[in-house]
Amino acid sequence: MKAKYKIGAPKLRVGILFFSLSILACKKLIEVKAPITSINAENVYESDATAASVLTAVYAQISDLNNDLGNGSITSISLYAALSSDELWLYNKNDPRLLPFYKNDISDQTQDGNFWASIYPIIFISNSAIEGINNSTSLTPAIKQQLLGEAKFIRAFCYFYLTNLYGDVPLVLTLDYQANKALDRAPKEKVYQQIINDLIDAKKLLSANYLNSDALTAYPVGSEQRVRPTSYAATALLARVYLFTGDYINAEAQATTVINNSAIYTLSILNDVFKKNSSETIWSLQPVRTSTQSNTGDGAFFILPETGPNAGSNPVYLSNNLVNNFEQEDHRRVNWINSVVIGADTFYYAYKYKVGLIDTTTEEYIMMLRLAEQYLIRAEARAKQNNIIEATMDLNAVRNRAGLSNATYSTQIDILTAILHERQLEFFTEMGHRWFDLKRTNNIDAVMTNATLEKGGNWNSYKVLYPISQSEIVLDPNLVQNFGY
Amino acid sequence: MLFPTLRNPLPEGGGKLHQFFLVMRITTILLLAGFLQVSAAGLAQKITISGKDIPLKVVFKTIEKQTGYVFAYDDEVLVEAKNISIHAVNLTVKEVLDECLRDQPLYYTIEDKTIFIKKKLPEKKANLTQAISSTYALTGSVKTETGTPLAGASVTIKGLKKAGITDSKGQFVLEGVPAGKYTLQISFVGYESFEMTINVADNLVAINAILKQALNILDEAQVIAYGTTTQRLSTGNVSTVRAADIEKQPVSNILLALEGRIPGLFITQNTGLPGGGITIRIQGQNSLSRGSDPLYVIDGVPYISQLLPNISTDGGILGPNGNSNPSYAPSGGGNPLSFINPADIESISILKDADATAIYGSRAANGVILITTKKGMVSPNRLDVNIQSGWGKVTRMLPLLNTQQYLEMRREAKTNDSSMVRASDYDINGTWDSSSNTDWQKKLIGGTSHYTDAHTSISGGAVTERTNTTFLIGAGYHVETTVFPGDLSDKKGSLHFNFTHTSKKIRVQFFCDYMVDNNSLISRDLTQNAIKLPPNAPALYAKDGTLNWALAANGNSTWVNPLSYLSQKYSFNNKNLISNTLISYQILPGLELKSNFGYNNLQTNEISVIPLSSIAPDRRPTKTRFSQFSNGNIETWNIEPQLTYKSKIGKGILDFLAGTTILKSNSNLQQFNARGFNSDQVMKDISAASTVSVSNSIASIYRYNAMFGRFNFNWQNKYIINVAVRRDGSSRFGPENLFHNFGSISGAWLFSNENILNKMLPCLSFGKFRMSYGVTGNDQIGDYQFMNLYIPYSVDVAYQDGTGLIPEGLPNSHLQWEETRKFQFGLDIGFLKDRLLFNSTYYVNRSSNLLQAYALPILTGNNQIQVNFPATVQNSGWEFLVNLKNIDGKLFKWTSMFNLAIPKNKLVSFPDLASSSYASTYIVGQTITIHKSLNLIGVNPSTGLYSFRDSHGSVTSSPDYPGDATALVNTDPKFYGGFQNSLSYKGFECDILFQFTKQTMPNYYFGNRPGAFLLNLNTGSIIANQPVFVLNRWQKKGDISSIQKFSASYPSAVLTPFSRALISEVAYSDASYIRLRNLSISWQLPDKWKQKMHLRSARIYLLGQNLLTITNFKGMDPESSSVLRLPPLKVLTFGIQFIL
Repeated sequence: MKAKYKIGAPKLRVGILFFSLSILACKKLIEVKAPITSINAENVYESDATAASVLTAVYAQISDLNNDLGNGSITSISLYAALSSDELWLYNKNDPRLLPFYKNDISDQTQDGNFWASIYPIIFISNSAIEGINNSTSLTPAIKQQLLGEAKFIRAFCYFYLTNLYGDVPLVLTLDYQANKALDRAPKEKVYQQIINDLIDAKKLLSANYLNSDALTAYPVGSEQRVRPTSYAATALLARVYLFTGDYINAEAQATTVINNSAIYTLSILNDVFKKNSSETIWSLQPVRTSTQSNTGDGAFFILPETGPNAGSNPVYLSNNLVNNFEQEDHRRVNWINSVVIGADTFYYAYKYKVGLIDTTTEEYIMMLRLAEQYLIRAEARAKQNNIIEATMDLNAVRNRAGLSNATYSTQIDILTAILHERQLEFFTEMGHRWFDLKRTNNIDAVMTNATLEKGGNWNSYKVLYPISQSEIVLDPNLVQNFGY
Repeated sequence: MLFPTLRNPLPEGGGKLHQFFLVMRITTILLLAGFLQVSAAGLAQKITISGKDIPLKVVFKTIEKQTGYVFAYDDEVLVEAKNISIHAVNLTVKEVLDECLRDQPLYYTIEDKTIFIKKKLPEKKANLTQAISSTYALTGSVKTETGTPLAGASVTIKGLKKAGITDSKGQFVLEGVPAGKYTLQISFVGYESFEMTINVADNLVAINAILKQALNILDEAQVIAYGTTTQRLSTGNVSTVRAADIEKQPVSNILLALEGRIPGLFITQNTGLPGGGITIRIQGQNSLSRGSDPLYVIDGVPYISQLLPNISTDGGILGPNGNSNPSYAPSGGGNPLSFINPADIESISILKDADATAIYGSRAANGVILITTKKGMVSPNRLDVNIQSGWGKVTRMLPLLNTQQYLEMRREAKTNDSSMVRASDYDINGTWDSSSNTDWQKKLIGGTSHYTDAHTSISGGAVTERTNTTFLIGAGYHVETTVFPGDLSDKKGSLHFNFTHTSKKIRVQFFCDYMVDNNSLISRDLTQNAIKLPPNAPALYAKDGTLNWALAANGNSTWVNPLSYLSQKYSFNNKNLISNTLISYQILPGLELKSNFGYNNLQTNEISVIPLSSIAPDRRPTKTRFSQFSNGNIETWNIEPQLTYKSKIGKGILDFLAGTTILKSNSNLQQFNARGFNSDQVMKDISAASTVSVSNSIASIYRYNAMFGRFNFNWQNKYIINVAVRRDGSSRFGPENLFHNFGSISGAWLFSNENILNKMLPCLSFGKFRMSYGVTGNDQIGDYQFMNLYIPYSVDVAYQDGTGLIPEGLPNSHLQWEETRKFQFGLDIGFLKDRLLFNSTYYVNRSSNLLQAYALPILTGNNQIQVNFPATVQNSGWEFLVNLKNIDGKLFKWTSMFNLAIPKNKLVSFPDLASSSYASTYIVGQTITIHKSLNLIGVNPSTGLYSFRDSHGSVTSSPDYPGDATALVNTDPKFYGGFQNSLSYKGFECDILFQFTKQTMPNYYFGNRPGAFLLNLNTGSIIANQPVFVLNRWQKKGDISSIQKFSASYPSAVLTPFSRALISEVAYSDASYIRLRNLSISWQLPDKWKQKMHLRSARIYLLGQNLLTITNFKGMDPESSSVLRLPPLKVLTFGIQFIL
């Protein structure tokens, strides 16, 4: 018996040693790396190639979702905002996803065209990229700079559309979901300030050249793929933002920077504007689908088949209001608009993109920023500064390209009206230009009161802003619905 | 055997240190090297000898001739030897010698190749030296009836504070015993306690105790986590099913042998196909959205509970397997336990409460199933052969409309809709023969499956003075066909190997289980076709014997011939290897260091083909041949070093265990879609495809590390306390919460061992009160959930020829275990010498910290994040078990077993449920599987449409869902259990097990759009025939009926109330059933016959599974409750078993 107690000590020692070994081993034994089928956030921004892939995926995703213009992704603003304004008419009055927009009758229960839900996830990726790239120590400096610029550009691009569609919006700039989930709206001015800050940064960071998917090497001159944002893309968007915020001096200056780079950017002939990598393209997106979807979703959606509009893939056509607004000799009326005649009815459709849903090689890219806008931005900025002569020159540059003769304007009001008119004809069914122009020039109530009646709905001023979906209001206790909804 | 009185147990001082380092050295060898070469004694030559009354000398000469051994003895030692009669065929030298010298005054030793025969000496007197003391050393050995030494048996001298534990050779020494008469008590788990009176005096002899295997079920060994116990001494809630009961059931998956036998274990067989999925829940579902599968451990090796994803979704033809976590840990159909041969299983222990499971920590919340395989025994070699063959049929068919009723329904539907017969209404427009009446259930699922199972094993073992070796080799072959037409079968071959060797202080045990399973099926379950094809659908074969496509005049096929699916072959091939090496070293008596080295590798290959021959001839030009391939592999390493210590402290016995687990599991899977084969024959060859694309790939690693300990103290078999702790780390959790502690405390009071109670209640032979409380965890959340992962964004054409990566959701580095706190108490009592045993248990298991997708506003970039949510789910209930020895005569024996479980599941709390995205899924206070259902009043007599009461109390035929879903339906079982009777008379044995469940399940009362004829020639889906229940339909204004009017086209005014009825409470109904789960009748051949055939045992038997089902369920089978999957089969087999 005695012996038994004595030997307790070594037993204890064995036990202690045994356990201390296990404890030492513990943490190492349960650490795992990311599976080979995916990559961990910690190392995604450690190598140039994977870091560039994150931004590449943003463009690929936006482009991919362009396949169906009705899906509410960011490029379908071209459809929804045009439906909300006076540009498009809806053929199938029973189309549940388009009808609320067409009749300006959206509610917080409307599921479709939820740009809020499609844009914030892109902002999340931009924020992830900005944080990851900033924290990274191993990226090649040039690539780090370019990617950071791209991420900031994309964030600014997203906020521009958010604030124009919804007004004051929560400004999400970090990845902290705990804080973000209870954000309230930031005033529009603050959002614009953030957009401007991001774009100024982006302008400095981004390369002036169109770069490859490695975000480092430039394309040989003449064979650029204009599908990654450059410093000129940032400048061009900055020009627009300054115009929208009433900073006409800066708007003019930025637009001038782009226009003056005539080695890269010139106004194309009308039929070439939307061809891939046209000389007018400042930034576009490359389609990423095959066969009948090898070209743009805009082309597939807007170009009507011989059978005319239908309840399925081609439910909209251009409004008479738009078509009738063109002057007789305006070449855009012929080159950018086409029609089908069904019985007694003629249906006009947008024919800017000329390749529809047919199986052919990729000839057109999705246009995001183009030079003509810079001319009209500068025209407007100069007009606002009472520089009517130079404003007229810019306006005429666009008019001349459309086959129209030079016009002259005597008053500021005249030229501003002419510019708004010109923008309507130049940018119809392009990324919400008309809808945003009507809003910022305060013409919206006047125009939409009639237009909505014509579409079978009732206009009300609060409808200039889209509502936030009810489920979002429920989940974020500090989020207040837009007035009227 | 004799020992000197004084024995210095250990060298002093430096010796201890030396020993310590020795121990460490050996530990290192054990841990690092993993395997030790241990050579078994080389007595391999076999001897055949037989004869009556032969002199020993003759026997010895024969042995010398047959083996090359030489005998050495003095002739005089054989003077007293008797002649012997022997019949030995292929026995070892040792076995023959043991037999020859059994009753002789002789013993033998073997040195090299020489066998020494010596005279047994008269037992020497204890060598007493008065000068030292007047105490004695009591020595002895403890063995089983078969001669296996029992290590760790406790030896007590009653009335003295003397106790000891036997060493690895089964030997013990109790020193310092004063002279006198004592009662010596020896006990060992699973054996009857041994008592003898000893007279300690000068002529002290060594004790030779032989312990008999316990006959009382209270004393049968019960495998528990990292050890064994008995029901008598257990502090926890553990149930065991043994080989004897498993063997009585013609099942190919051991889980199916558990149905109805264990209170608290609920099993649902999801399909009647071989290798199909099984849902298993121990004491209910704990997790809201994560895995609720138990942990399986096979001979110390943790085994998977879910297979890798199949090429088809929802488990494919093999059916789901109870995975409540598919979006985070996707899994395939079929059950992984299908790849273990039930015939190789010795016992299955189901661990339910915290006491039994907490030592498994984070893997234990859903209970643990410990599977122990068969091992050899010390005995002459034994050959066991068992062959059975039989047939299977579907348990229950659904009563369907015949042609007359069907056509009447269709025409009435057309009239109701006032619509014309369309060109595509082949069933009523004259295209199909309106006079034919085919019972499609009979044609497609009414066949007989064939069941053949053969199993053979060779086992044996030998003991020498210093070693003890046993082995078992088993081989099995199993073929099971299906009830579908065509040549489909599941073929399995298995090999089982077990080897145990004990020598001095080292014990080595190796086990290996290997199975090859080739399951050749088709990719479609024909049950749905059998239910939905119209009874006047065309004949299967054309007149020329080819498949009939019932071509219309324009050459188009008018149906999809269900037999065409027979050429859409699906093969599911698995190779499963489980092996474990246990090496143990006895440092000191009672102190043992051991380690498991476990390995499991499950390889899966799937091929599914859609050849053109399975497609209607007119559609072939537009179709391409399509094959899918899948290769998966799950590989798990598990190393578990443990230290156990057993000692007598005062009047109690202390059992201590400490250990650590190091586990790594790799899962890999690649799945491919292949198109463009130029012939049906080459479709299983992926290289014959012109386009191949990867459809899925998985490469995940799971690492797990834990430390655990258990402390058990048993004071005089009256008070037992058990404490278990575990600290777990798992790679599935975020860096903020890598480790977590789990543990339990429990106690048992065996009040029947209190003298007072003994006297007061003499009929009470056993009484125990037990209670346990502990914390366990659930880590079935899927791998990498906490990680901030970026996944490839794949597009048809790469953007700028570059790849894209997108973040996969919001990571949560705080992700951690779901936690289940288990509390239980139980009362176990036995009356009339334990002829009546009654066990009852009450348990409350509360799960919290539940992982849920927490809804986020999308402005955060994601609409949800996985978080540990402070919701609480409670599973509580009663479990009862009664064992009764009704008649225990010499010839006639009758025992009964009855078990019952009454479970209750409840969502106790869910903060902010109303505003969460789960508002329509859960209700606080109700079960977590609650079905919110609409309130169906009946059929409106004037419109003929279903009418419902909405949430405001008004009547409507288009209620809002889930807004108006105010009726609650609970599909959890209300109670379930089993009732078994076992009778034996002479060589006859009969076992009958009834299983019963009280539950509500989704029925098929409303059919599927009665009156419609919906045929999709592309997918083969058809909706036409209906169950006979629909005959009670509304026909004209004023009719009171329970089925709404038939419709052919189902316009939304008719479809809405119909589809709403399917989610009303009437769509659920009583699915309670009583099933004759198992019947086993066997007859042991008379001894005379067996002797003639030289058989140790021979019996013929009849086994039946699911033979009878009593239910009034309005559907097919009440267990699977599905009309999409084949119901379980009833199986009847005949077999023969003999042991040589």
